[in-house]
Amino acid sequence: MNQYQLTIKVDDKQVVLERILQVARYRGFLINGMNAKVNTGTNIGTIELMVKSERPIELLVDQINKLIDIKTVKVNKNATQQCDL
Amino acid sequence: MTTEKKQTGGSVLFNVLQQHGVEHVFGYPGGAIMPIYDALYDSDVQHFLCRHEQGAAFSAVGYARASGKVGVCLATSGPGATNLITGLADALADSIPVVAITGQVPTSAMGSDAFQEIDIFGLSLACTKHSFQVTNVNDLPKVLHKAFAIALEGRQGPVLVDIPKDVQLAEVTKSLEDFSQLRNKVKLPPANVGSAIALLSKAKKPVLYVGGGVGMANAIDELRAFSDITKIPSVSTLKGLGAIDPDDDNYLGMLGMHGTKASNIAVQECDLLIAVGARFDDRVTGKLNEFAPHAKIIHFDIDTAEINKRRAADAAILGDLKINLPALAIPLSINDWQEKCQQMKADFGWQYDHPGENIFAPAVLKEISDKMPKNSCVTTDVGQHQMWAAQHMEFDDPSNFLTSGGMGTMGFGIPAAIGAQVSRPTDCIIAVSGDGSFMMNVQELSTIKRFQLPVKILLIDNAKLGMVRQWQDLFFNGRLSETDLSDNPDFIMLATAFDIKAKQITKKSEVSAAVEEMLDHDGPYLLQVKIDAQDNVWPLVPPNTANDQMMESI
Ligand SMILES: Cc1ncc(C[n+]2csc(CCOP(=O)(O)OP(=O)(O)O)c2C)c(N)n1
Ligand SMILES: [Mg+2]
Repeated sequence: MNQYQLTIKVDDKQVVLERILQVARYRGFLINGMNAKVNTGTNIGTIELMVKSERPIELLVDQINKLIDIKTVKVNKNATQQCDL
Repeated sequence: MTTEKKQTGGSVLFNVLQQHGVEHVFGYPGGAIMPIYDALYDSDVQHFLCRHEQGAAFSAVGYARASGKVGVCLATSGPGATNLITGLADALADSIPVVAITGQVPTSAMGSDAFQEIDIFGLSLACTKHSFQVTNVNDLPKVLHKAFAIALEGRQGPVLVDIPKDVQLAEVTKSLEDFSQLRNKVKLPPANVGSAIALLSKAKKPVLYVGGGVGMANAIDELRAFSDITKIPSVSTLKGLGAIDPDDDNYLGMLGMHGTKASNIAVQECDLLIAVGARFDDRVTGKLNEFAPHAKIIHFDIDTAEINKRRAADAAILGDLKINLPALAIPLSINDWQEKCQQMKADFGWQYDHPGENIFAPAVLKEISDKMPKNSCVTTDVGQHQMWAAQHMEFDDPSNFLTSGGMGTMGFGIPAAIGAQVSRPTDCIIAVSGDGSFMMNVQELSTIKRFQLPVKILLIDNAKLGMVRQWQDLFFNGRLSETDLSDNPDFIMLATAFDIKAKQITKKSEVSAAVEEMLDHDGPYLLQVKIDAQDNVWPLVPPNTANDQMMESI
């Protein structure tokens, strides 16, 4: 299992958070932790997601990127690590 | 001063549909969508009343696939909306542009478990490309324009717009703004043509693997030019059929689980596989880590997420096939390989001699394929009859063969044929169905009756859920669990009840005359072809097996 941290910038639209969580689950990534906030001035949301999977993270990044209301998806290299279990 | 009639949510919907060139919609009314149906009453858009919302969704899919336009379906809240879901899932799996409009309970009642309230917006997340719920009528025009743009942009797909009843009734107070075409959101990196050309010019045994994306990208001319210039042996997926000219000497047929022997062997032996709008689906690859084991991969696609998803690409060419395919079209010197592939094609050709009096379904399908008028469109249901149609019929365009590929949804064939016939009223539309699948959307015969659609239905009747029966015989020790349909209804009587002319045949000697009668008949027609319940689809690559380990008989 690898653990990854993603930083996702989104347009603050209906159910964008649900969409991201659904894609993560469906594509085989367990969610370990999450942090979400919206800048009410710009209406841009920032979501930090800690995920765990056997699968390469590019798989999830590509799929999240396909969602309509996503601006950017970044993998935080420093927080990426191997973990037991 | 002009006294313009005030626009409501309902009337705005039809205005926007017309701005997008929509002339036909498929649907079913109900409480929470009544204001939209009231606006329909004044609209020029023609509505086809289906007899189940699943039928409406599949008709929209068939309409889109046969015409290249967006298919539109309407349903009420709750059960109406949930009945659309299978059709949306099918459209998502096969990347079909559909816009589904659902009524919703009024905003004030939302979230209260109101009568016929279901969270279709939530349900849509897993079965659409995108979805919207509109809570302010002034947002509706823009949302609808976006829905069309999203359905068509990049890799196409279904979009759902959920509209609460009060929003349908509300007057639009802002002037309708112009919409600007959505930009393609995903910025694609420049195509890596250089490394692909290097791979191609080094290849001794290349194969072109053609998928449904070619038709979706409208790149058939470019693909055929590529194949003419390179003379590269080619194979097709189920959804790609028709993209390559079936008469092309270098075309080897469909690959995968029920693919031709020549195709599967060529792919297993090739040293370069060029995937064009294809996604290495499990029905294509068989055991993935033994698929095309010696091949480097060039992967053309519009969807970044397909690159490296199931098979790593040595060169990825992202973007529009119409632009990217010509960049790679270079003459190759691969004569030995071409000859070998053509020899396999000749050696492993289909055999239509079949002992006994019983009708051989592949031969019937071949005969129809040879006799049907040019530009006929064939739809199928799912099962053995579907695979036989794919193997034994020839198509010169993917929009002439509509089959549920990604989802494999029984019940697709009849409503998809209805949609195809509505979009192409003068073309011959033939639904190849099975006795199991036919019953899954049999109520749509009523739609055929009402609009006197001249759809031809070829019902391949083995009195079985044949494909499952075949697997039970081959892989479950012949334990035939729940696959017998020997108590099927009288299909002739059933069709007749819907004013559809019908005929049953049971012997080989009856086939030619019956096929001609069906094709010559002006109105709707059902031809029930009784076949042996034991007939199997060959070849068959067993699950999780390399594609050259195919079974060819019991
Ligand atoms: C909606 C749906 N349910 C179940 C299946 C599983 N399934 C695949 S083929 C098949 C049998 C189809 O029977 P029939 O339509 O008679 O076609 P045949 O194989 O006999 O030609 C079944 C049950 C499916 N593909 N779709
Ligand atoms: Mg059957």
